[in-house]
Amino acid sequence: MFKLMRYLKPYWFQIIILLLSVALQVWGALRLPSLMAEIVNNGIVKGDTNYIITTGLHMLGWTTLSAFGALSSSYFSAKVGTAFARDVREDIYKKVLSFSISEIDRFTTASLITRTTNDIAQVQNTTVLALAMLVRAPLTCLGAIFEAISTAPDMIWIIGLSVAILLTLVIIILSLVMPKFKIFQQLLDKITLLTRENLTGLRVIRAFNNEHHEKHKFSITNTKLMRTDMFVGKVMSLQNPLMMLVFNGTSLLCIWIGINLMQENIAYLGDMMAFMQYAIQVILSFLFLTVLFVILPRANVSAARINKVLNTHPKIHWKKQTIGTPTKTPSVVFKNVDFVYGGAEEKVLNNISFTANAGETTAFIGSTGSGKSTLINLIPRFHDATSGEIIISGINIKNYSENDLMKLIGYVPQKGFLFSGTIQSNIKFGINSITKKDVESAAKVAQAADFINKLDDKYDHHIAEGGTNVSGGQKQRLSIARAIAKNPDIYIFDDSFSALDMKTDAALRQALKPITKNSVTLIVAQRINTIKVADQIIVLDKGNVVGKGTHNELLTKCKVYQEIAKSQLSDAEYSRELTLAQKQRQKGGK
Amino acid sequence: MPGPNHKAPEKPKNLGHSAKLFIKSLGKYRLALIITCLLAAIATFLTIFGPKILGNMTTTAVTSLTTTGQIDWAPIASSAITLIILYIISAIISYIQGYILTIVSSKYIAGLRSKILDKISRLPIAYYDKVQYGDTLSRMTNDVDTIDSTLTQSLTEIITSLTMIIGILIMMFTISLPLSLIAIITVPLSLIVVGKIMNRAQKYFRSQREFLGKVNSTIEEDYTGQQIIKVNAHSSKSLAKFKAQNDSLYHTSWKSQFFGSLAFPITHIFTNIGYVAICIVGGMLSINGTITIGDVQAFIQYVNQFNRPITEVAQIIATIQQTLAAAERIFTFLDEPEQSPDPSPAKVITNVQGAVEFNNVNFSYIKGKPIIKNFSTNIQPGQQVAIVGPTGAGKTTIVNLLMRFYDPDSGTITIDGVPTKSMKRADVRQLFGMVLQDTWLFSGSITENLKYGNSKATLHDVKEAAKVSGVDHFIESLPHGYQTHIDEDSDNISAGEKQLLTITRAIVADPPMIILDEATSNVDTRTEELIQEAFDKLTKGRTSFVIAHRLSTIRNANLILVMKDGNIIEQGTHNTLLKAGGFYAELYNSQFKEV
Repeated sequence: MFKLMRYLKPYWFQIIILLLSVALQVWGALRLPSLMAEIVNNGIVKGDTNYIITTGLHMLGWTTLSAFGALSSSYFSAKVGTAFARDVREDIYKKVLSFSISEIDRFTTASLITRTTNDIAQVQNTTVLALAMLVRAPLTCLGAIFEAISTAPDMIWIIGLSVAILLTLVIIILSLVMPKFKIFQQLLDKITLLTRENLTGLRVIRAFNNEHHEKHKFSITNTKLMRTDMFVGKVMSLQNPLMMLVFNGTSLLCIWIGINLMQENIAYLGDMMAFMQYAIQVILSFLFLTVLFVILPRANVSAARINKVLNTHPKIHWKKQTIGTPTKTPSVVFKNVDFVYGGAEEKVLNNISFTANAGETTAFIGSTGSGKSTLINLIPRFHDATSGEIIISGINIKNYSENDLMKLIGYVPQKGFLFSGTIQSNIKFGINSITKKDVESAAKVAQAADFINKLDDKYDHHIAEGGTNVSGGQKQRLSIARAIAKNPDIYIFDDSFSALDMKTDAALRQALKPITKNSVTLIVAQRINTIKVADQIIVLDKGNVVGKGTHNELLTKCKVYQEIAKSQLSDAEYSRELTLAQKQRQKGGK
Repeated sequence: MPGPNHKAPEKPKNLGHSAKLFIKSLGKYRLALIITCLLAAIATFLTIFGPKILGNMTTTAVTSLTTTGQIDWAPIASSAITLIILYIISAIISYIQGYILTIVSSKYIAGLRSKILDKISRLPIAYYDKVQYGDTLSRMTNDVDTIDSTLTQSLTEIITSLTMIIGILIMMFTISLPLSLIAIITVPLSLIVVGKIMNRAQKYFRSQREFLGKVNSTIEEDYTGQQIIKVNAHSSKSLAKFKAQNDSLYHTSWKSQFFGSLAFPITHIFTNIGYVAICIVGGMLSINGTITIGDVQAFIQYVNQFNRPITEVAQIIATIQQTLAAAERIFTFLDEPEQSPDPSPAKVITNVQGAVEFNNVNFSYIKGKPIIKNFSTNIQPGQQVAIVGPTGAGKTTIVNLLMRFYDPDSGTITIDGVPTKSMKRADVRQLFGMVLQDTWLFSGSITENLKYGNSKATLHDVKEAAKVSGVDHFIESLPHGYQTHIDEDSDNISAGEKQLLTITRAIVADPPMIILDEATSNVDTRTEELIQEAFDKLTKGRTSFVIAHRLSTIRNANLILVMKDGNIIEQGTHNTLLKAGGFYAELYNSQFKEV
C-alpha cells in the first residue's frame, strides 16, 4: 500500500488542504462539550441566561467551522482518491500493453484484468476511506484526550482503563477469529469450485450417473463451511455485547467518579458531563482505527498485486528508430536461432536456420511442443531469441522500431479475436488509411464477404465484446481479413485455418495465392492438406528442424513427416500419395 | 441510500411475492428468528434506561449537595447497582441472541446451498443450453452471500435500530416536550437535505457506473487482444482511447464519491446544531426549574445516540431490496421445471447386446423448428456409426438423444428392443461410455478421476486401463504418479493428454456401448496417434457412435449419418453415399482438392 503512495505525490497540495480541513472539522466538534461544560458551570449553576446565550452562539460558530471542514475534507478526499485510482489504472494499462507474451503468461490475462479492475477499486475505496478516517480518528482521539485532560485531569485514568479493556477484548476476539476467517474463505472458494465443476461437467457427471457422488462431495465441504461459519459467528457474537458493556460502564464510571469529585467543588458538574462525552469520542475513534486495521490488510493484498504488475519490466526493448532501410523485396532469415524459456533447462528451439523468400510459402509442421508456434512468435518479437539472429528484409529485428516492424507483418493468431465495434472497424484495425473497396476485397479473399453481405448492416454490422455474436469460423475469417487488409510484406498464419472447414480452407488458400505473390507467407499447420503445396515445408520435432523441403521430398525421406501423413490419411490414400511423390521425384519435379 | 460503489440498485421484480417465498423458505427457523428479534429488542430496550438513570444520579447529587451540602449516597449507589445489573442482563441477552442467530443462519444457508446443488443435478440439460453457467454459479455464490450477510448482520441491525429509535423517542418525550421537539426536528431536516443531495447525485452514480463498465470492458478486451494490438501497431491509439475513457470515469467518479460521502458529514452537522440548541434551551429550562440538570445530561446523551439508528434504517431499506432480489433469483431457480420423473416400474436390460433402433424419431430444440424428422435406423450389436458434418451442424444432437439428455418429441429409441423412455435415465446412461471433445476432469487426483465411472475399480484396474490407452507412461512420469493432483487450469497436462485420460476413464468404466467425439484439434500428431489407437481399442466389439473427423473411421463405419444445419440429410455407408454424389461426396472430395 505504501509503495503505491507515490501516486499521491502530485496531489500533495490538495492533501495538505485535506488534512487542514479534517483538523478544522475535528477541532470544531471537540470544542462543543467543553463549551457545554461552561454553560452548565457558569450558566445553569449560576442562573445566568445571558451567559448561556452568548456561549451558545460561540458553539454555533464552532459548529459552522466544523461543518465547513467536513465538507471540504469530503471534497478533497473524493478528488484525490479518484485521481489516484485513475493514475494507477492508466499506468497499469500502459504497462500491460508493453508486456511481451512471457510477462502476460506469467500473470495470465484474467489475473491482469482483475488487477486493473477489482484491485484498483479496492485500493481506491480504501484510499478515500483512509484519507478521511485514518486522519480523522487519531486527530479526534488526540484532540479528545487533550480536551478531556484540560476539563477534568483527575478523571483521565478512566479513559486509559476503558481503552485498555477495549483493546484487549478486540485483540482476543480477532486472534480467535482471524485464523478461522482464512479457513472460511478457503472453504467458500471450494464451494465455488465444486459448483463450477458441477456445471461445466454436467454431461459427464450425468453420463457416469455420479450425481449422488457429487452431492456427497459437496455436502462434506458444505458442512465444514457451516461449522466454521458457526464458530466464527459465535465468537463474533461476543463482540457487540462486550463493547456495549465497555461503553456503558465508562459512562457509569464517569458519573460515579464525577459525583465524588463534585463533593469538593460543584464546578465539577459541567466538567464531568463534558468528560463523559470526550471519553466516548476517544473510545469510538479507537474502534474506528481497529476497523481500519481490518480493512487495510485487504487493500494491502490488492496493492501488492498491483505493484507486482507495475514493477515488472518487459524484457523486450525496442529501438526508437529503425537502423537501416529494409530491402524492397521482403525476406525472413533465421540464423542459428535458439530459444529457451526463462528458467527452463530444455531448449524450445534449437539451432534453427532457414530462409523464407518473397512469393513463396513456407510451412511449419510438427507435434505440439515441437516449437512451431514459438518459432513464428519470434518474428513479431512476442519473445526474443535466446541466441542467433533473425533478419527481416535485410535488417536484424532488434534494430527495428516497434512500429516499423509491425507494419511489415500481417499476423493471424490461432484463435480469431475481434474487438467490439463494427466488422469494418475490425478489418481496418491498425491501418491509417484504407478505402471501403480495400476492406471489401480483403473480406472477399478471406471468404468472409458472403456472410457479411447476408447481414442487415453488412460492413457496419455491430461486433459485440469478444466477438460473441459471430461464430468461431466467422471470427477467424475476419481475423484473416484484417491481416490481408494491411497488405503486409510478411504473412504469418499461426494455425489459423484449423477452425475452418475443409471447403473454406481450400477456397481461402486459392484466393490468397495472387495476393501473396510479392510477400513472404509463413504458415503453421496441423493438417497436411493445408500445406501440401507449400514451396518449403519445415518439419520440427522437439525444437529441432528434422526435415526441410517440399511435400513430395519429405514424404519420401523424412520419417517424422511420414508419421504425420500416416496419422492423417488412410492407408490407401497414404500409399497413393507416396507413389505419386516417388514418381514426381524421379521425374525431378516436385 | 445507494452509495456510489454499489451496483445498479437491484429491486426484486415482485417484492411481495419474493418476500413471501423467502419467509416461507425459512420454515422451521421462523420461530427461532422471531425469538432472536424479540431478544434483540429486549437487550436494546434495557440499555435505553441508562442515560435517564445516570441523569437521576447527577440530579440527586446536585440537589443533595446544594440543599444539605452533603451528597446523599444511598439512592445514588442503588441507582448505580440497578444500572450494572441492567447492563449485564442486556449483554447476556444480546449474546444469547447472537448465538441463536448464528446457529440458525449457518444452518439455513448451508441448507440453501445444498438445495441449489441438488437442483443443479435435477434440471434438464435443456436448461443449461439456454442459461449460461455463470448465471447459475452466481446464485450459489453472490446471491447466497447476500442473504447470509442480511440474516447475520442486517436483521439484528434493523431490530436494534428500530427499538433504539422508538425507545429513545419515548425517553425523550418523558423528559421534556420542547427539547424533544428540537431534537426531532433536526432529523427530518437532515434527512430532507441528504435526500435532496442523493437525488441530485443519482445521475453521477449512474454515469459513474456506466463509465466504470466501459473502462472495465475496454480493459478486458484490450488485455485479451493485446497481441493483436501490438502486431497492428495500435498501442498508441488504444492508449488514447483508454485515457479518454479513464478521464471521463474520473470526472464522474469523484463527483459521485463526493456526493456519496456527504450523508455522514451532513447528518453530523445537523446533530451538532441540535446539540447546541439543546444546550441553550435545556440550560434556560433548567434555570427555570422546568427540568433538572440530570435530565439535560441524559438528553444530550440521547441526542448523541439518536442519529446512528436513523441513518442505519435508511441504509437497511436498500439492503432489504438487494436481499429480496437475491432471494427472488434463488427461488426462481429452485422453481424451474425439472426433468420428467423416471418411469416406475422401470424396465431394466440385464444382458446387453447393443442393438440400437431409432423408430420414426422427431426432435426439435425449439418448438416448431424440427431438427430430426422421422429418422429411423437399425444398428446391430457391435456396429460402428459415424456422424459427420461441418462444424455447428448439430452432431451432438444424436448423442443428446441416446443419453437421454433430451427426449425425442415423438418416436422411440430402443436398446435391445426396450424403449429407453421406459427405463431409468441412470440405467440408460450406464450402458454408454462417453468421451467428449470437452475433456472435463474434476480437481482431484488422477486415480480419482479415472475411477469416476466405476468407483469399485482397484488401482490395479486403473493402471491396466491406462496401459491399454497408452497413457500409463505419461502418468508415471508425473511428480506424484497416479496420485498427482489435477484441476481445471493445471498446465502440466496438455489437451491431448487430457483426452487420453478421459478415454482411460471410459475404459475403466467398461460400458457395453460407446459414444465418442473424436475431434482432436490442438493435439499433436503423436498424441493423436495414441488417441486413435485407444479409440480403436475402446470401440472394438462394442456398438459405437463416433462423431467422426477421420477418414479411416468414416470409411469403415457400418453407418454414416451426414448432418447439416441440424438435420440428418443423408445416411448410408461410405460407398453408397459417395455414389449418391450428394453433400457427403462434396465434403469428402474437398479434402483432396489440389490448390
